[in-house]
Amino acid sequence: MSLRTFVLCLTASFGIAWLAIIVIPFFEMRELAPVPYPEAKSTSAGIFFPKRTGRVMTGARVYAENGCYQCHTQLVRPTYAGNDLYRPDWGGLKMDPDRGDTRRETNAWDFNGEKFAQIGTTRMGPDLSNLGRRLETSDGSSADPAAWLYAHLYNPRNNPKLWNSTCPPHPFLFEKREVKEYRAPDALAVNVGENMEIVPGPDAKALVSYLISLKKDHPVPAALNFTPAEK
Amino acid sequence: MSSATTNTQDALVRSGIDRSLRHPVMFFLMSGAVWLSFALLLGVIASVKTSSPGFLGHCGFLTYGRVYPAHINALVYGWGMQTAFAVILWLMARLTRRECTMTGAILTAGHVWNLTIGLGLIGILSGFGTGMPWMEFPPFAWPVLLASYCVILVGPFIQFRVRPEERGNIAQWYLLAAVIWFPWIYLTANVLLHCVPGHPVMGAAINAWFRSALIFLFFTPVALGTASYLAPKVTGNPLYSDSLAKLGFWSLAIIGPWAGMQKLTGAPIPYFLPYLGGAATALFFIPALAAAVNTIRTIWPSREVLTVSPTLRFTLAGMVALVLLGVAAVILNLPDSMLPATQFSFSGYGFEILALYGFFGFVMFGATYFIVPRVTCREWISRRLIRWHFLFSLYGILTIIFVTLIGGYQQGLGQESWSLPWMKAVDAGVSIAVVITFAWCLILFSNIFFFLHLTLMWLRLGRRGSQPTLLACSPGNLGPAASGPATAH
Repeated sequence: MSLRTFVLCLTASFGIAWLAIIVIPFFEMRELAPVPYPEAKSTSAGIFFPKRTGRVMTGARVYAENGCYQCHTQLVRPTYAGNDLYRPDWGGLKMDPDRGDTRRETNAWDFNGEKFAQIGTTRMGPDLSNLGRRLETSDGSSADPAAWLYAHLYNPRNNPKLWNSTCPPHPFLFEKREVKEYRAPDALAVNVGENMEIVPGPDAKALVSYLISLKKDHPVPAALNFTPAEK
Repeated sequence: MSSATTNTQDALVRSGIDRSLRHPVMFFLMSGAVWLSFALLLGVIASVKTSSPGFLGHCGFLTYGRVYPAHINALVYGWGMQTAFAVILWLMARLTRRECTMTGAILTAGHVWNLTIGLGLIGILSGFGTGMPWMEFPPFAWPVLLASYCVILVGPFIQFRVRPEERGNIAQWYLLAAVIWFPWIYLTANVLLHCVPGHPVMGAAINAWFRSALIFLFFTPVALGTASYLAPKVTGNPLYSDSLAKLGFWSLAIIGPWAGMQKLTGAPIPYFLPYLGGAATALFFIPALAAAVNTIRTIWPSREVLTVSPTLRFTLAGMVALVLLGVAAVILNLPDSMLPATQFSFSGYGFEILALYGFFGFVMFGATYFIVPRVTCREWISRRLIRWHFLFSLYGILTIIFVTLIGGYQQGLGQESWSLPWMKAVDAGVSIAVVITFAWCLILFSNIFFFLHLTLMWLRLGRRGSQPTLLACSPGNLGPAASGPATAH
């Protein structure tokens, strides 16, 4: 076999797959057609575009730089691929006080505003797709989700309920400083000595803002709603 | 008389080739060994942290989320790629019978490669990682790495005038293919993820494909090419079957590029992508089995050489790991039963480590024990160091395979039991992590011996002598060459 034929064969065997699963899907996915809400059924008019508030870009960068994706996923799989949807607060809420069961699988718009979807590789910790909503409704964190997250990031095992958590502490995202005239409103409830307090640094603030923006509570249009129709 | 002259000329050609490659080959092997020790140390630290999260947790640069990516990137680019460079350069020069004339350029590019890896790891540890698995180096690194790669391998390939020969040289095919595929894969993934804005979920899918392609289309062909060169050389038997070798090669070329996206099953990407990925990964057992059977059947008639030749012993262990890899590829990717349970458990990590260290690594160690005496004109100093390297590595990797593949399934079942509290699944993961820490310690221990031994050889403190270092005394009548330059080929 000549070098030319050999290289041609290699190019063909690799190139077909390369075009079919990388290049074409990549450029197709760049321009996803917007999904409209059917006007009659829904109160929200227009197209499906879940808005996220908070410092999503910066927070996603902090999330990536500190390797949160090594242990946490952000993917609620459909039931054919896993049991994530059955958990009561992973893909929405099983018992939302206003709307009933809002659980749904991850869709392509859930990562709006991010450059790279942190799907994750291993679940040493729980899935975070719906973390913001979960914290707003569960005991212990519903009063102030941000404060709960700051305390968790500082040292997860300070929380007696999570004494055996394997999440690493991130004290380096916080600053230890002298108390000025009054304690900072977001200072952590940890005792670090007379006249000293622990406050979240800029990275911790961005990260917490990002984590709170992880919610799955936007009503989805019928075209994206795969819940079995039962009444 | 004429045959004796040919033999002498032949030996002169070979020793000329070895001399021309001494510095690049030893440079890449040594750098690889240094990065391997470093990567294993980081691996042990990361692994301890998964069971005791407070360990060294108070400074940012040693947090788990940075140490773990540093560990895997040092392993892949620091050790894996550089060891592959050394072995590919030497094999290609030998196979084409040409001396290398570009050592200056290769060594310069090698230094640039090492410097970039160092800076990239500092970047990851100080918090500038990109957050894409296996591509965590800050974005400055990839163009530099790609350019150095071209100088290190593509240049010499043109100089060697590598041609895929029709018969008997499947090694050349594999190495040529790996050298062509790597830049294509690396360039595609980096350009699409760093330079062209795209959909975030498709980015994650391309990243999953990249990891799989690096294993199946770079590390696998390099190891298979090396094994199909070493097994006939050391035993003196011809390769068992040419057609089996071709089947192995072309099935890998056709199946390999489709694999990888099963890692995103259930994610919002076109549905056919994860299915194709799962099917292709499961089909990987065809090239794996074809190549492994071919090499093992080549070795088998001379199996008594296994008791003395370190090269052959490592190669055979690598081939057994390849069979395990093929079986694991099928079992882990059954879409209805196993994939949901193992998609986010430790078994994915176990699969990668089995491919990188169990299969690729063992074949590369075998090649190192074969090549180094030839390029340094010295023999390995101690058979005990070689034996310890083999045994501790073997026990370490067996432990990792066992707990990650079987324990990973248990952990995955815990994750899938949605009616039980989440902490149950975490607890299953923690007990696996403790065993993995122990196994990494064994592997680190074994590679301290390897590193010391290789350093002594690099300093040319090896044994001068005409007898190769064999694993047992009285070699008797053992095929044409068990190891060492003393025996001609």
